[in-house]
Amino acid sequence: MKKMVAVVAVSLLGLAACSSTNTSGSPAVPGEAKPAAAEWLAKAPVADAAAILPGSTMEKIKKRGELIVGGSLDAPLLSQQNPVSGEIEGFDADMGKALAKYIIGEPKVKIVNSASETREALLGNGTVDVVFQTYTITPERAEQVAFAGPYYTSGLTIAVKKGTTGIAKPEDLNGKKVIAGANTPAIAAIKKLAPKAEIVTFGSDPECMQALKQDRGVAYVQDETLLIANAKKDPSIEVVGNPFTQDPYGIGLKHGDEQFKTFVNDWLKKTQSAGVWQQVWKNSIGTVVQGEAPAPPQIGSVPGS
Amino acid sequence: MSVLLDHLPVIWQGLVVTLQLTVASFLGAAVLGVLVTAMRVSPVGVLRALGTAYVEAFQNLPLLVLLVLAFFGLPEIGIKAEPLVTAIVVISIYEAAYIAEALRSGVNSVGKGQGEAARALGLTFRQSLWYVILPQALRTVVQPLGNIIIALTMNTLLAGAISVVDLTEEAKRINLVEAQPIPIFVGVGLIYALIASGVGFVTGRLERRLVMVR
Repeated sequence: MKKMVAVVAVSLLGLAACSSTNTSGSPAVPGEAKPAAAEWLAKAPVADAAAILPGSTMEKIKKRGELIVGGSLDAPLLSQQNPVSGEIEGFDADMGKALAKYIIGEPKVKIVNSASETREALLGNGTVDVVFQTYTITPERAEQVAFAGPYYTSGLTIAVKKGTTGIAKPEDLNGKKVIAGANTPAIAAIKKLAPKAEIVTFGSDPECMQALKQDRGVAYVQDETLLIANAKKDPSIEVVGNPFTQDPYGIGLKHGDEQFKTFVNDWLKKTQSAGVWQQVWKNSIGTVVQGEAPAPPQIGSVPGS
Repeated sequence: MSVLLDHLPVIWQGLVVTLQLTVASFLGAAVLGVLVTAMRVSPVGVLRALGTAYVEAFQNLPLLVLLVLAFFGLPEIGIKAEPLVTAIVVISIYEAAYIAEALRSGVNSVGKGQGEAARALGLTFRQSLWYVILPQALRTVVQPLGNIIIALTMNTLLAGAISVVDLTEEAKRINLVEAQPIPIFVGVGLIYALIASGVGFVTGRLERRLVMVR
């Protein structure tokens, strides 16, 4: 037993030493208290009683008093759990709260940490009501789930170590080692545009960044927002070129629930016209991307939505 | 199931990587495991302590932690290897602790008189271990070793965390495009089950052939 304790103590010391070198420069605690949060929530619309049709999914959620959202806990700016407050913050997380307020009257949300592998199954068997998780609408996925929205459009772009030459567009990645997040649309996009690239994947964004810095690949393909945020935190990394894909994010719903889909689309229109969508954007993605909130994408404008 | 058939080539690629990981890690773990067992039963106190420390350290740390630590940590001190090599080395080191424990239980099951007789005949410690004790010890631990190989096969999927594209990682990639988790993961699960039952079958046969009636 004593030996075990010693081993654990030594390894913990080792881990502590590792992490202390990593956190220098960037604050350990992302997102301190946001005073603007309450402001947009107060503005967020609530559905008329008539819209909550008897026997519908929305009625079920209202009766339960809680919206069950499939989402991430580790996506910076989108849906990340604040380690201090325990609150889940970001664009996707706040959109979930706004939808909960619309249905229930209060922003009561329970986030089920759904992985990209399980989203379709979780929606199909009713474990979650909706999925807000950078869920790109594709025709293949639309055969398994219903998509409301799109509620946001993003694109993939390329980051490299500063000083890297010869990479300006996705085609330049051919024949090179490229880092991508596991379970992200980047994998398919790289395969399509640079079929000769060797794709190296890691589970999370910090791991991908570490891999890029340790030369496990020459470039890192990821959502533009995330990469801009990364490049801001880490001056040894730079973003090259403009986004080369258009990924429309949809709200995942149970396949075939047309009633709920219409309801969620109505809510989306109302939040956008009330300026809530824009405020949520400013609080999250807007903290790294300059300028005003972009125009939200046209609802139902992509195949599969 | 047609989703799986559509992606047969990549599933095959993934399976090859999984088998490479399994076989190479098992061989590495077997060699290391025998060494550690020899240390644990050796008459030299320092070696015994080292062997115990090895087993306690690697049996009690999660494999995922070891993999991530080796992959991202070692390059910081200038040691950098390919992901597949890193995975094989780390899994070998980790599983060696388990193999060493299984072998040690086998060694302990060999009658004390066997070792004493071997030494009395003038064999050195190394010779008595290699020619007298280990062959008998191995026979009694065929089944536990089989279980360790099966566990090792399942553990290889953690290599996905350090960018090795094995069977599970290919399945995740297919699902990303097809969005049909149930058929994809059930199908891939069946492949793992097949590997495991293959190992079980072989060890079962081996055990019957090697059985010693005492």
